[in-house]
Amino acid sequence: MSPLALVLVLLGTAPADEAVVQPGETLADVARRMLGSSEAASELRAINHLDSDRVSPGTHLLLPGPERNRAVSAIASAKSAVRQAKAGAARTEASERLADAERSLAAARYGEAAAQADGAWKLVSQRPDDPSRFAVQVGDDGATRVRVDSGVPVRVEAEGRTRAVSPGESVLVRRGEAPGVPTPEGAAVATAALEAPVLLSPAADVRLALDPKGKGVGPLRLAWRPVSGARGYLVELKGTASQTVRTARAEVSLPAMPTGAYRWSVRAIGLEGALGPASERALELSTSTIRLDVQEPSWK
Amino acid sequence: MALCLTLLAAGAACRKSSPSGAPPDAAPEAPARATLQQLKGPVSVKRAAADDWTVAREGMALLENDTVRTGTSASALLRFPNGSSVLVGEDALIGIAETRGAPGRDRTDLTVRRGTVDATLDRPATQDLSVGTPSATVRAGREIVFQ
Repeated sequence: MSPLALVLVLLGTAPADEAVVQPGETLADVARRMLGSSEAASELRAINHLDSDRVSPGTHLLLPGPERNRAVSAIASAKSAVRQAKAGAARTEASERLADAERSLAAARYGEAAAQADGAWKLVSQRPDDPSRFAVQVGDDGATRVRVDSGVPVRVEAEGRTRAVSPGESVLVRRGEAPGVPTPEGAAVATAALEAPVLLSPAADVRLALDPKGKGVGPLRLAWRPVSGARGYLVELKGTASQTVRTARAEVSLPAMPTGAYRWSVRAIGLEGALGPASERALELSTSTIRLDVQEPSWK
Repeated sequence: MALCLTLLAAGAACRKSSPSGAPPDAAPEAPARATLQQLKGPVSVKRAAADDWTVAREGMALLENDTVRTGTSASALLRFPNGSSVLVGEDALIGIAETRGAPGRDRTDLTVRRGTVDATLDRPATQDLSVGTPSATVRAGREIVFQ
């Protein structure tokens, strides 16, 4: 087992929204164990910003929050409605939106997936008898925003592309461009920008003398102030050894690290998996001096 | 007296046949594309063949290629023959059933060049409305009820 894997194994028990990779497990195994389906491995990869499906035993992985359940439920409802719908343009378009929703789910963009699934459901569950209300707003630059308040979907055409906009959705069309993807009204609130974490300890450019642990020293505790809207944090150490840790808490404790100079950074991970800006500090690890205090025995 | 009556009749005929001088609330010969209602604040209309803007009046019939302009804090309701309606907000500029649309685009019931309109179709299963803008065409109602 590599020193890095050993360090990760020693990280301790994972909280409820994290999972620790067990020996012999793949990402698909973790997805099956924690999320009920090996297909959810892509979600874990997206949430944890992993480059591949290979994960070392002991690695802490962030798990999706409750927003995943809503997306999965919305997709299931939409699938059922699409299956029961009569063949036609509405079902075709709803099927396309459903495929978009599944792609968003696989990329752990849960809010987007739920909205797309809801849109698909509305397309095949429309009631033509309901009054249709929508607004068209044209700006000074000729850009058009269409917002649908109620009734059947409205079709927005531009540059040879047509989009169906369902109640509760809006779409923006810029001059010379095709309509964008309809978005739920107020969706921008959910994707508010994450702030850079405020690092608390250790202080910047500090030299830490830690106890010898294995081939290194430890434990090294890193802490920062929680970021509003963050579902987890990506912590990176670069220097004598490099290490990446994902955690749901605003702190992490590394049992052992080789001595030397490091830079450590923390970035918040948003609800949709987006990364916020990084905060970074430097530190140096050294071995604490072992003080031997040998006293003369009293019996002598 | 007979001469006076003849001259008066001729004058009226001249006014009626003058494209730019036609009073905006005169009975139109072409079928009305929409009717102006619930006027609030400064609302003006420019007839298709006219050069000048005239003050809009309640119940005024709007014809093809007429233009409606609203000022600050103004609004107007356009009622279409099929029952659908459009509330034109302030500082807006719209055209009625313009035949000179963008190349490659179908003709629309209404063109919004600037500002905001709120459209309502009480019975979308039997009504339809198409709105053109500089960047898009918006269609609602009967044409897009798929099933």
